[in-house]
Amino acid sequence: MKNTIAVCMSAAVLAAQIPNSPRMLDPSPDTWPMYNGDYSGRRFSKLDKVNAGNIDSLSLAWVYRIGQGGESIGAIKSTPVLLDGILYFTVPDHVWAVDARDGREVWSYTWQSHGGIHIGNRGVGVYGNWLYFETPDCNLVSLNLKDGSERWHKPICDLDQFYFGSIAPLIVKDHVITGVSGDDLDIPGYLESHDPETGALQWRWYAHPNPGDPEAKTWPNTDAMLHGGGMTWGPCTYDPELNLLYFGTGNPQPVIAGKARQGDDLYTESIIALNPDTGKMAWYFQSSPHDTHDWDAIEVPMLIDGTVDGRPRKLLAQASRNGYFFVLDRTDGKNLVTAKFAKANWAKGTDAKGQPIPDPAKMPQPDGALVSPDQGGAANWPPPSFDPLTGLFYINATDAWSIYYIYDDSDKPEGWAGNDRGGYSQSSLEAIDYHTGKIAWRHKWEGWGSRAGVLSTAGNLVFTGDAANNFVAMNAQTGEPLWHANLARSVSNGPMTYELDGTQYVVVGAGDTLWGFAMLRKP
Amino acid sequence: MRTSFWFPLALCAAAAVCRGQSFPDKPGKAVFQRACGSCHAATMVLGRAMDHDQWSALVANMVTKGAKISDADFTVIVNYLAESFPPGAAAASGSEHAHHVVDAGPDDEQVVDPAAAARGRTVYIAECVTCHGAKARGARDDAPENLRGPDLVRSLIVLHDRYGSTIGPFLAQGHPMQSGHSSTSLSQAQILGLSHFLHAMVDETLRGGPYSQPVNILTGDAAAGRAFFAGAGGCGACHSPAGDLSHIASRYDAVSLQQRLVFPNSTRRRRGARMAQPQPVMITVTPPAKPPVKGVLVHIDDFNVALRDESGTYHSWKRTADLKVDIHDPYAAHIKLLNVYTDKNIHDLLAYLETLK
Repeated sequence: MKNTIAVCMSAAVLAAQIPNSPRMLDPSPDTWPMYNGDYSGRRFSKLDKVNAGNIDSLSLAWVYRIGQGGESIGAIKSTPVLLDGILYFTVPDHVWAVDARDGREVWSYTWQSHGGIHIGNRGVGVYGNWLYFETPDCNLVSLNLKDGSERWHKPICDLDQFYFGSIAPLIVKDHVITGVSGDDLDIPGYLESHDPETGALQWRWYAHPNPGDPEAKTWPNTDAMLHGGGMTWGPCTYDPELNLLYFGTGNPQPVIAGKARQGDDLYTESIIALNPDTGKMAWYFQSSPHDTHDWDAIEVPMLIDGTVDGRPRKLLAQASRNGYFFVLDRTDGKNLVTAKFAKANWAKGTDAKGQPIPDPAKMPQPDGALVSPDQGGAANWPPPSFDPLTGLFYINATDAWSIYYIYDDSDKPEGWAGNDRGGYSQSSLEAIDYHTGKIAWRHKWEGWGSRAGVLSTAGNLVFTGDAANNFVAMNAQTGEPLWHANLARSVSNGPMTYELDGTQYVVVGAGDTLWGFAMLRKP
Repeated sequence: MRTSFWFPLALCAAAAVCRGQSFPDKPGKAVFQRACGSCHAATMVLGRAMDHDQWSALVANMVTKGAKISDADFTVIVNYLAESFPPGAAAASGSEHAHHVVDAGPDDEQVVDPAAAARGRTVYIAECVTCHGAKARGARDDAPENLRGPDLVRSLIVLHDRYGSTIGPFLAQGHPMQSGHSSTSLSQAQILGLSHFLHAMVDETLRGGPYSQPVNILTGDAAAGRAFFAGAGGCGACHSPAGDLSHIASRYDAVSLQQRLVFPNSTRRRRGARMAQPQPVMITVTPPAKPPVKGVLVHIDDFNVALRDESGTYHSWKRTADLKVDIHDPYAAHIKLLNVYTDKNIHDLLAYLETLK
């Protein structure tokens, strides 16, 4: 079995003129050209017309509701992509184009679904005049940006094996990068690159070693390895100088009962660096060796250009679902910081590589094991933010406990074979110093939990959602709450910002509604 | 495109019919759709068929994952789901079949016919079980080489099959069987039965299948549990075995009891149980130079706070530096224990509570 299949290796003929290159590499403030705003995943905006001094005047500019005939079609978990004054966003099977100035619909598109899990869709990728999104029923669909008409759709996974699609494709040069979701039956995860014009497969990288590789020894046998999970449902980031694509992989399978997959189970729950032209892996770092708690390590692998010991360094930071904050050197994956950012009682310590060592007593048990965090995790897919001006990494962090049970204690458990039940959780917005992993400040939310995404801006502001349906702006240096609006639903995506005609907008999704706020007051 | 060329049984004219994708108009529908639909498509519950306790556990789990559901709405939602989607296939949603797994897999997945699956099981035991195992997950690792059949639950021939559409052509090629006959001797009815049986095995393996339950959680030491209750656990400060906990073990099954003792604030009661709903959080708000107002917490965030006082009157305030807010969470001691007790403490406590029949 080849790990990387080069179906159409056209790297050598990379076009010099890539339609979106300039606006992808150095996005101007009147755009938000990809899910995370730029390739770094920092979700930081240089805009400061809205700032800690005038945030009291931020007001509602427009509202767009996606509800169709009253039936729930899900929450807006995508961060809109903004190009040429139009916002493009999704929920499963649906895409909208909305005027970024006033929230009026330009067009909408509905995919006729043939099944799959409709838990969420993170959004779109755009290349030239074309838009790309994934469907729950395993298709990559390309639409005409102008009117939402379908150009083509290509299968990216097999519904019969319980895969589904959910991520926002990332465009890197002439590659449309797609990932897959699904962990109901025991199947391997993979990441793919597609031709933006035809949708043809360029390469596929599997989340497991080739039989015979040294890493294959982290599985008891080839059969377990080839059915070992590692879905690729998180967002990718990209460093153009290194030409490396970064992403995290999901949980190993069977999910809860790890008896038949003893070992570290590479490359599940790992941060991976790949060459986007070939799909060849440059390095990996495993956030959760041999996980048994469903703690996908797909949280944003954020690229920080920082300093360590006075030297400029290319870093990668992840606040992982398992409760640990990692900082790596993104040139080679070497670990610099491993620190807990939330309650985590499942590890005995960290090894020489900086990876947590799982405690067998805190793996799921037939009679139950009290574990923190819970299955939802200390963090999850909602995106964090990094502000280069404060040097702080902002994340909604959850202290959570749950009891994990094994349901099938036979020698050959499959699927999940256990689960967690019940729980208690408490969330805080945390500002983490990437040099040390120490918490610079922590703002505890009232109530049970917030899992909102985060945006930071040069206005000394951090935007996020609290546990009480408020969209909140806080002082980026101190964590003091400065402004809020009750949106009646929890913030359900990562907020974004842009400037059009001299006005700064802040846009956030909460349930079925996209809210546009703006600084309408004249200075 | 999948066509059932082998057995062209047009059971599912339209995928939506197979899945019974509709929400019965019963009390609570709107509350359910509002609360659950604000995070994911409400259709994610379709295909589930569970009793009141199981729905209660699932919705409670959602609360711990951030679902905004009040205690009153919790009851309404669980009742709606339990009445609309009870155990038992056909009754579940007016569909012909209840899927075990939420929303996973294709719309046109095979609808298992239990009678045909039972017939298929007979064929399976007679002809296949030695090599493919009792659960169709393949032979044991210690089986002789010549009797090691692959895992059929993970088999693409099975997963792509509809009513024999891929299993049939495979067996038509001739596959050795236990009886010594070739599989070419199987009748179409036998192959259809095998197809239903194998799809039933896949369904059983999936999350939410019939065996998704803890098997044995009574492992603790009741005497040690009693000692923890009276000593380090500090449980006696609020509870007594002869008082609020008398006969507690006859009111809850062991799993519910363990969940309830660790997470009383997120584990709701069973319908009909006499146990009280989670106690409300009490709050006292003291505005500057005014008498304190005491009541049940209605809402609190960084900006505002609201309560309902003893007379039922609603009060709210903007939170300021000189507004004093004292919260009394009746479950504070339980929350504190999460950082204190060991798994052995919990299992011992459960064993002790189980003696209070």
